[in-house]
Amino acid sequence: MAKLILLCLNYMILRSTVEAVFEDQVGKFDWRQQYVGKVRFSSFDTHAQSSKKVLLATESNVFAALNTRTGDLFWRHVDKTGPEGNIDALLQHGQDAVLVVGNGRLLRSWEINVGGLNWEILLDSGSETVDYQAVYSDGNGEVYAMGVVPHSHITIVVYSVEDGEIIKQVSVEAPWLSNIQTSCAVIGPGMLTCMDPATVSLYMLDLHLESEMTQIPLQALGLEVTPGFHPVLVSTQPNPARQPLSEFFLQLGPEQYLLLQLNNGQIVTLRDFKPAMLASFATAGEKTVAAVMSPKNKTACSINLFNAETGRRLLDTTLIYNLDPNGGKPEKLYVQAFLKKDDSVGYRVMVQTEDHALAFLQQPGRVMWTREEALSDVVTMEMVDLPLTGTQAELEGEFGKKADGLMSMVMKRLSSQLILLQAWIAHLWKLFYDARKPRSQVKNEVTIENLSRDEFNLQKMMVMVTASGKLFGIDSKTGSILWKHYLDNVPSNAAFKLMVQRTTAHFPHPPQCTLLIKDKDTGLATLHVFNPIFGKKSHITPPALPQPILQSLLLPLMDQDYAKVLLLVDDQYKVSAFPSTKNVLQQLQEMASSIFFYLVDSSQGRFSGYRLRTDLSTELIWEVVIPTEVQKIVSIKGKRPNEHVHSQGRVMGDRSVLYKYLNPNLLAVVTESTDLHQERSFVGILLIDGVTGRIIHEAVQRKARGPVHVVHSENWVVYEYWSTKSRRNEFSVIELYEGMELYNSTVFSSLDRPHAPQVLQQSYIFPSSISTMEATLTEKGITSRHLLIGLPSGGILSLPKMFLDPRRPEIVTEQSREENLIPYAPELIIRTEWFINYNQTVSRVRGIYTAPSGLESTCLVVAYGLDIYQTRVYPSKQFDVLKDDYDYMLISSVLFALFFATMISKRLAEVKLLNRAWR
Amino acid sequence: MASPGRQGGGGGGGGGGGGALSTRGGGGARRMKWALELSLGNTRSRSDRQGGQGDVVYPIGYSEKPVPDTSIQENDKNLVEKRCWDVALGPLKQIPMNLFIMYMSGNTISIFPIMMVCMMAWRPIQALMSMSATFKLLESSSQQWLQGLVYLIGNLLGSALAIYKCQSMGLLPTHSSDWLAFIEPPQRMEIMGGGMVL
Repeated sequence: MAKLILLCLNYMILRSTVEAVFEDQVGKFDWRQQYVGKVRFSSFDTHAQSSKKVLLATESNVFAALNTRTGDLFWRHVDKTGPEGNIDALLQHGQDAVLVVGNGRLLRSWEINVGGLNWEILLDSGSETVDYQAVYSDGNGEVYAMGVVPHSHITIVVYSVEDGEIIKQVSVEAPWLSNIQTSCAVIGPGMLTCMDPATVSLYMLDLHLESEMTQIPLQALGLEVTPGFHPVLVSTQPNPARQPLSEFFLQLGPEQYLLLQLNNGQIVTLRDFKPAMLASFATAGEKTVAAVMSPKNKTACSINLFNAETGRRLLDTTLIYNLDPNGGKPEKLYVQAFLKKDDSVGYRVMVQTEDHALAFLQQPGRVMWTREEALSDVVTMEMVDLPLTGTQAELEGEFGKKADGLMSMVMKRLSSQLILLQAWIAHLWKLFYDARKPRSQVKNEVTIENLSRDEFNLQKMMVMVTASGKLFGIDSKTGSILWKHYLDNVPSNAAFKLMVQRTTAHFPHPPQCTLLIKDKDTGLATLHVFNPIFGKKSHITPPALPQPILQSLLLPLMDQDYAKVLLLVDDQYKVSAFPSTKNVLQQLQEMASSIFFYLVDSSQGRFSGYRLRTDLSTELIWEVVIPTEVQKIVSIKGKRPNEHVHSQGRVMGDRSVLYKYLNPNLLAVVTESTDLHQERSFVGILLIDGVTGRIIHEAVQRKARGPVHVVHSENWVVYEYWSTKSRRNEFSVIELYEGMELYNSTVFSSLDRPHAPQVLQQSYIFPSSISTMEATLTEKGITSRHLLIGLPSGGILSLPKMFLDPRRPEIVTEQSREENLIPYAPELIIRTEWFINYNQTVSRVRGIYTAPSGLESTCLVVAYGLDIYQTRVYPSKQFDVLKDDYDYMLISSVLFALFFATMISKRLAEVKLLNRAWR
Repeated sequence: MASPGRQGGGGGGGGGGGGALSTRGGGGARRMKWALELSLGNTRSRSDRQGGQGDVVYPIGYSEKPVPDTSIQENDKNLVEKRCWDVALGPLKQIPMNLFIMYMSGNTISIFPIMMVCMMAWRPIQALMSMSATFKLLESSSQQWLQGLVYLIGNLLGSALAIYKCQSMGLLPTHSSDWLAFIEPPQRMEIMGGGMVL
């Protein structure tokens, strides 16, 4: 019987949290964008005349086929991250594409029409670690896989194309060679040609003869290399069934290319291109052409075709490529050549720029599509409220201005009301006009001009920072890119921190975001201040930062222009403020005694807290040292500053209150043991007050290993780890309570907390590993919380927090039932209806960002990784909105019917009364 | 337009013939205590009236309206007393019934128990608000004050019962949890931030 009750209870609870989408809601609130990453190899499918495919192998270990007409994906294969899935070489052979994968570990053949795998061979030979980096085939049924043992020799393995069997295997001495990809190319009749920058000479090897390599110094050819430049070889193989052309490009400097020809072992210069930014070969039918991009003026480049065999320029082949002022310089050129009806060569080009963008152009310079592949590597993001509409802003502005006379104020008010009326009528007219059109034709094009906040603030601007240094502003409703801005000279290993200094709430001051970019090598940092709505760089000049910056701190203080104050801590532990006006400095002096910050140096295991002095220097007030020989600090999580907690306690079964320990200064520090042996490894979690350095709680999970994912919110910390003992993923939750009494209900000061909180903890088994984790966030914090868990399978799971509750009882009592506690069960079940992205798989989720909307029930979610997925979640269902399928017609018709019924019956009753009176 | 019913009633009273005395109790209109009816009979007068009003002149002392009987009988005093006690004990008599309803409706919060509780609470309050009217009713009784007190106690008991019911249903804000939503989040005294060294 008890079991039955339990089952019923469980059922009811689970029923209440079901939130899968209906079929007709698919794509209504959510969108997904799929990316492939920075292109490493590309090959146009030429085997069929009408083929629209271009194959891309990227640095994100993705192999994909794009539609050249639209830029959409045909298919995509996402391999493992890291060196294991690294794509080393791509060779297209008819309908098959052969890839060398995993730093020369695997040889794979793909069918390019549907993207199916033909075969896969392990390329492991010998005891030495051979790095297979290139494949070559001249169409006689043999595939040459070329590998290198750096500074020792080249290994060449010959396979049969049909079944992948090894035909022969040889190795050739090459002690100067470290990488085949960057320095070698196959030219002409199987001549492997390599460039040695140290001796400035070419080395050549006939693959069919497997003799010694012959050295040809460039000086002997009368060529000169720009000092400090690594010369690059570009060759072409028009048809995999035939040997490569004997013409090839040699890049001698950043803007100099030479077209050379190998003629009976002799190298002849055909043409010298200077200045030339990029050069590439393309083949159409029997003709092979060379495309060379040269600068035209500051904003445009021109691309011309040249006959590959003679080096003569072809007429009417100029294509103008306009440089995007918000993009990078072109980096690679891929040319798709085709024969026109009159047998002349036509072509389209795909240009890859420094900011990882791909643009596909056709003559005379029309851009067919662009892909922003930088978005495959989003580092950090923020969501910013959109500004009010122009008319709303007009009204707001009226209140912002100073009063100048009664009459003019009245006139101003009247005029702004008139404008509002006008806008409203225009809106009604548009509604009426659109209603007559079929739905598919109504397109609400979102542009940066008509951008405005909707009534529930569900549409926001997503500001995304990518690893390449390109910033994007994306409309959260449609996913269209509204602005982009490329920051050149961003170091490749930069750390980014994005902060919203001023929101859109302070009209007429524009919103302001600040991006802190720190070079990890030098420690020097720069600030980029911009308007998050329009992407324009702000006219405010950020301070120059001569000292390396350790951390930044966004204070809730505001200057007279409503910009939050940003404190930057340098390596001398001195603080500088931005903006640093007099007003700000004065405020800082007043507040200094209550401003604290902490720094974690995980390499030294030092965790230290500082207090600000009035002269903007700092004083160390506490320090916790975690011995690095035993464990290292992996991550540290504070609470989100914009988080609201509506309820200060939890109601018990006997209707008393258990008050939450809501310390805004609490930090969750995760440590992992340096000893990774499965018997001795452990994961530690420390709850530290960031102001006083007091350790509130310490938990150690023995026989456990990272990676640990943590979410810290309200009065709870949830973390996930790998249990080496039971070989499974486990979740653990810690909740902190003050007890039945509040110590101080009006103010919270970490310095005055005599009582330690009560700590409750419980652990659960989770059936999958996870990639990332985040908690939902709503405007007022009334809605119950869910955990959003990104799984490696590409699903995003919305797990109700009530399943991770250390108060879940093992034995059900009347009181626990009253409290709606689910009885403890060690397993957390993954229910398919909890996947918020149904079948929209998000590959390699790296982060989930949540933002509150204007509706209390609704939380906006963005998951980013290789793909970007945006949706809304309703953790407690949509309690404040009518349902999508709400029957307005029925309700209003019933209301009208009732109204008329009362009117009629009233009249009838009157008549009847009158008649009766006459009787 | 004279009401025929009343006239008929009057006629019925004096059915015997002329000179009948009608004694009718009535607090309404002021009437002569004694009235002489000199008409020959009911039937006659009715037919006359039907024939035409102009022809017949009512005899002296004829009244068209019935005459109330305001005489007080010997045992009236006791009756009033009894009636007043009935009024005073009314609320107390309802209590067992209310207890039964309370028991039957249970402690779950749904529309019917809530309606019952509302009725139970509202009736005594209504009664207490119209105390002065009740006192007027009891005016004639000799034990007016005692009855008033009993009536008051009965109503108070009734409302106490309703409050108890609310309490057992958990509708009264008597626990700290009922005031939880009104607790403001504490103001934070320190500003803190930082993180891993970038």
